[in-house]
Amino acid sequence: MDLFVAAFGFGLVSMSVIAIAAVGFTMQFGITNMINLAYGEVMISSAYVAYYLNRAGFTIWFGMVAGALFGAVFSFLLNRILYAPFLRKGTSHLGMVIVSLAVSLMIANLLLPIVGYFPVSYQEDPGRLIRWGSIALTRDQFIIIGIAVVLMLAIHALLTYTRLGKAMRATAANPTLARNCGIPTQRVIDAVWLITGALCGLAGVVAALDSDSFAIANGATFLITVLAAAVLGGAGQPYGAMIGAVLIGMITELSAAAWSPQYKEVVAFGILVLVMVLRPQGLLAKRGALAAAG
Amino acid sequence: MEARPAPSLQAQGITAGYGSVPVIVDVSIAVGPGEVVAIIGPNGAGKSTLLKTLVGILRLDSGRILLGADDVTGRAPEELARRGVGYVPQVNDIFEPLTVLENLEMGGYLLNAAQVRARVLEVGAVFPQLPPMLKRRADKLSGGERKMLAIARVLMLDPKVLILDEPTANLSPKLADGLLREHVKRLAGLGKAVLLVEQRARAALEIADWTSVLVSGSVRLEGRPADLLQRQDFEELFLGAGTELGVSDESNMEET
Repeated sequence: MDLFVAAFGFGLVSMSVIAIAAVGFTMQFGITNMINLAYGEVMISSAYVAYYLNRAGFTIWFGMVAGALFGAVFSFLLNRILYAPFLRKGTSHLGMVIVSLAVSLMIANLLLPIVGYFPVSYQEDPGRLIRWGSIALTRDQFIIIGIAVVLMLAIHALLTYTRLGKAMRATAANPTLARNCGIPTQRVIDAVWLITGALCGLAGVVAALDSDSFAIANGATFLITVLAAAVLGGAGQPYGAMIGAVLIGMITELSAAAWSPQYKEVVAFGILVLVMVLRPQGLLAKRGALAAAG
Repeated sequence: MEARPAPSLQAQGITAGYGSVPVIVDVSIAVGPGEVVAIIGPNGAGKSTLLKTLVGILRLDSGRILLGADDVTGRAPEELARRGVGYVPQVNDIFEPLTVLENLEMGGYLLNAAQVRARVLEVGAVFPQLPPMLKRRADKLSGGERKMLAIARVLMLDPKVLILDEPTANLSPKLADGLLREHVKRLAGLGKAVLLVEQRARAALEIADWTSVLVSGSVRLEGRPADLLQRQDFEELFLGAGTELGVSDESNMEET
């Protein structure tokens, strides 16, 4: 029993990491209509940016900020330079998925000679262990949970209370009508890529920090978990992604306790397949993509 | 005979369509302040295509669009909105996942926060049904409420030109009449230039100051409604296209 209570604690950390990544991924899809399969590679690239800064003597907290900035700029440029020209030509959804898959492979293969194949880890003292019953988490893990909670509240506030957030939801709902209202949809979409790219970058660093070590191959495994949470919640739905992250994070950690940690990604992928079969629209699909936040 | 006002918006010989196939050919129309200009015609005549071209959604192949004296040919929809052209499409006319208030706020996107608050009150006075439902999600509205929200959203920017694409589609005859007589005509009375595409030809003729009949992508007749109704070829154009003047009055009805 203690093992499962301890796994619940790890589940809280996992769901926090997944939530940051999945909300970014699903907002990207919900507003720009782009399923970006290169998301996992942007995550891992950002994790490496933080790694090299960490190795140069900077703290991992500085690395997180740098990773978020790198993710924002990288994602923005990916869209402007690679995706947007295809979209302007009217490339189909399936075509865009294949383009993003190609971009993902390109990033991974460009990164490989730079970072190497072998796993690396941050040089960071995880802080003292804080115990609460059978739950034992490090200071860093509590900080990760705190960061996720603050970010989810910030995303809610952005979408509900700010002019930019409402314009994002309007653009997601009806881009042509948004333009007829005078909303500069191209600038809104640029902002979406910057914000979701920052979430992606930050999630990459946080996920790497939460692991003992990470390697270039982790980009693909990150993507599977993020996809599972986003699809479970309902593609394009930030609140659905938060719920999906809670479920995926908790289920994968509990399954790790029951079987083996090596099966975490298998369980995540299994959930993804089950959702696609049983409820392909996801949990919150009825509310519509980026539904009324208030 | 009373002269027409100087045009707020005019299309001069525009040809446009989808891909390489033109849907409207060499169409010229104009609408001035305080005027309701109705564009009527059978289904597939190119009425909606004409409006989409005027608001910058579709590119035109030839011709010019003037806003006042300014040539706005080929300008983007957001720029035309900034310059005072408001557009209510026939379908997808509101942001469904947003609340009524958020729809109005998006309609007033180009205004500052204080101006938005003031305009919400002003627009609420024009459509008194809307203020009690500001927190309601727009996809929960009835057909009539939805159309009022769509028009109210456009009014947020206080446009000089109001372009309405079949605002009475899916409304009952009673609601449709109310919308056209009470609201559309009143907006023209406030000095706005109203360009209206309408399937309910007779109802449109009753409120219009000028009417153009579009058939197969070209303006076949135009004039003051009273004059058009005297002409024998006017009804023949409709009947010839399989459409009657009172078309759709009993179809696609919805009560609030």
